[in-house]
Amino acid sequence: MSEDSTRSAGQPRRDLPEGCTLSRRTFLGGVGATAGLVLAGAVPALVSSAQATEGGVPGNESLSGVIEEDGAVNYPGKTVHYAEPPGDEKWAMVIDVKACIGCRRCVYACVKENNIGRNSGFTYIQVLEMDKGKVDVEHASLAYDHGGDPDKWYMPVQCMQCAKPPCVYGCPVTATWRDPDGIVVIDYEKCIACRNCIVTCPYGARHFNWVEPEIAEAEINPDVPLHEKEGVIEKCTFCIHRTREGGTTACTEACPVGARKFGDLNDPDSEVSILLKTRRVWRLKEEYGTEPMIWYVG
Amino acid sequence: MAEKAISRPGVKRLIGVDLDFGALRTAGPRYWAFVSLLVTVIGLGVIAWATLLTHGGSVMAMRDSYPWGLWFTNYMYYVGLSAGGLVVYASVHLFNAKQFAPLSRLAVLQAGVLVMMALLGIITDMERPWRAVWMLLTPNFNSPFIYTGSAANIYMIICFVDLWILITGKGGHKLAHRMTLIALPFAVYLHTTTAFVLSLNKSRELWNSAVMVPIFLTSATASGVALLLICAYIMQRIGAMKFKPSMFRSLSTLLATVIIIDLFLLAVEILTVFWPTSAKPGHALRLAEFFTGEYAIAFLPVLVLGLGAFALLAGRSTRHLPAVQITASVMYVVAIFLKRYSLMAMGFAVDPLGQYSAPYLPSLVEVLIALGLLAVGLLIMTLSAKVLPLRVPEEDSAEPDQVVLASHAPEQALEVG
Repeated sequence: MSEDSTRSAGQPRRDLPEGCTLSRRTFLGGVGATAGLVLAGAVPALVSSAQATEGGVPGNESLSGVIEEDGAVNYPGKTVHYAEPPGDEKWAMVIDVKACIGCRRCVYACVKENNIGRNSGFTYIQVLEMDKGKVDVEHASLAYDHGGDPDKWYMPVQCMQCAKPPCVYGCPVTATWRDPDGIVVIDYEKCIACRNCIVTCPYGARHFNWVEPEIAEAEINPDVPLHEKEGVIEKCTFCIHRTREGGTTACTEACPVGARKFGDLNDPDSEVSILLKTRRVWRLKEEYGTEPMIWYVG
Repeated sequence: MAEKAISRPGVKRLIGVDLDFGALRTAGPRYWAFVSLLVTVIGLGVIAWATLLTHGGSVMAMRDSYPWGLWFTNYMYYVGLSAGGLVVYASVHLFNAKQFAPLSRLAVLQAGVLVMMALLGIITDMERPWRAVWMLLTPNFNSPFIYTGSAANIYMIICFVDLWILITGKGGHKLAHRMTLIALPFAVYLHTTTAFVLSLNKSRELWNSAVMVPIFLTSATASGVALLLICAYIMQRIGAMKFKPSMFRSLSTLLATVIIIDLFLLAVEILTVFWPTSAKPGHALRLAEFFTGEYAIAFLPVLVLGLGAFALLAGRSTRHLPAVQITASVMYVVAIFLKRYSLMAMGFAVDPLGQYSAPYLPSLVEVLIALGLLAVGLLIMTLSAKVLPLRVPEEDSAEPDQVVLASHAPEQALEVG
């Protein structure tokens, strides 16, 4: 349309072939089509925001009320590589820090399960070793030799799948968002590698693939992307490929002392729901208002 | 002026600007040696960038603990430097600071080129630069990146359009004045949003302070004014432009004023962080690294150089000496670079989980890319010094508004004819 208009402006009209002029009708048609497109684009946005406000399941039995603001943020209506959320689940995890012995078996299981490059130099889960008597993250140790020190206590930290995720708020291109089941996902095809989410995350949960992730052929998990992750951000997904198929996370499975409980907050009989009702729980950096989906108990 | 320029050989007129290519032919061997040095550095930078694109991010010293590196330091630094030039130029129009009028074209050119270098720095950091199109297609307006990125782009365009208006005299004094009314608020907006990239992060205690915005503005203005002073001296030295000593004196008074406001804001922030009734462990622990940790070698010089520059310029008896002015300016330009570097790096040195990482030092590839970009900027300035008509005609700077308007009229008539 714009090409036509410049031509008709630059040349005498009679030189133009039939149909190459910008008539009033074509112009109005174009305006109408543009307006229609804008309106059509607004509809899914309105629908998704309506869904977001409805979120969760009515009734006092559900624990989804513990999340102050529980809406999908920046949810563009598309999931990455995985199945759609199966139902109205709200995934959550409770970690018993009294039970945790700091063995890092969850870390190893996670690396294997999620195709984390063996040369990448990061893990989704970081286990902090702290002195007894306080929750002093500033003086915690990540690089302890082996766990089980009776004078210390251990706290695994990973992506908290926040209900109000600063990483999602900080992503300039909407390459990451929170799905309706509460999992914060990343579109590897869209990430522009600005690394702002690393900066905004208060839990150090996001990691950048500075090298192409390398894994021995036999150890590759076909259910999880690998090469797409080169030069982009990745993080814990609550094992989205397992949990959306009815399974549990690899770290929950691997924990030798059963310190991790994973489940659905909307199911009043799930382990996490019962724990949150019967035990006194706390969340890391609660004062930041990020509403994490991982609770600690101990 | 225009008539004289046209009569000289080697002058080509492009979109109303007299480009004096003849001056390049008469330039000495020293000039060309400098130009070829710059071109060599640019070549090295291109090779380094190609290495980055083919080998991926691992060739840089940045890691998860330091997700941003030299490119971001330079982004803040260049964006800041460009502000000062614009403040000086704007004061000509807004506060009728006639003594700065001869600087106006140089100041605007410097502002535009510096922002261009800052933006090129972002592009050369991206492993897949073409994905930047998502910034336009699906922007997230919660992210400060959207604001600082768009602001820098628009600001760069404003600067170059403004330069063109100043050189051609199109629209006369009135349009130049109106452009200032757009450009100055935009410069403030750009620096505010750049500060927001750091300060709007509750995850990083060190940066999460509202005083970051005014500190960015004053640091930007001070370093920019200092750079403009250095630039003006160089231009005068190579004979491209000519200034009165009183202009340099006014410039250094302005510089001293902004330096002391800058240092005051920094002192307020330090006091708030460490005062027993306000000290938060996370914030105090991170700022303490500035004074006692490994970053002290980068941050303590900021205070020493800053106070030193102020002391040099404060002395009434020595302030007018060019050597003193240049020394103080260089000191502050260096100090602000160190300040940007340590501010960025220290925000990362202790990560949100309290883990300390050894200081960030850029890798060879990063340094070469940064030097290449610096050379691009210097090359543009070097060529502009000869080719562009940066010298403001005498009558423009010396006489009041009405006369300036009148003096533009015949010039415009010439252009039309």
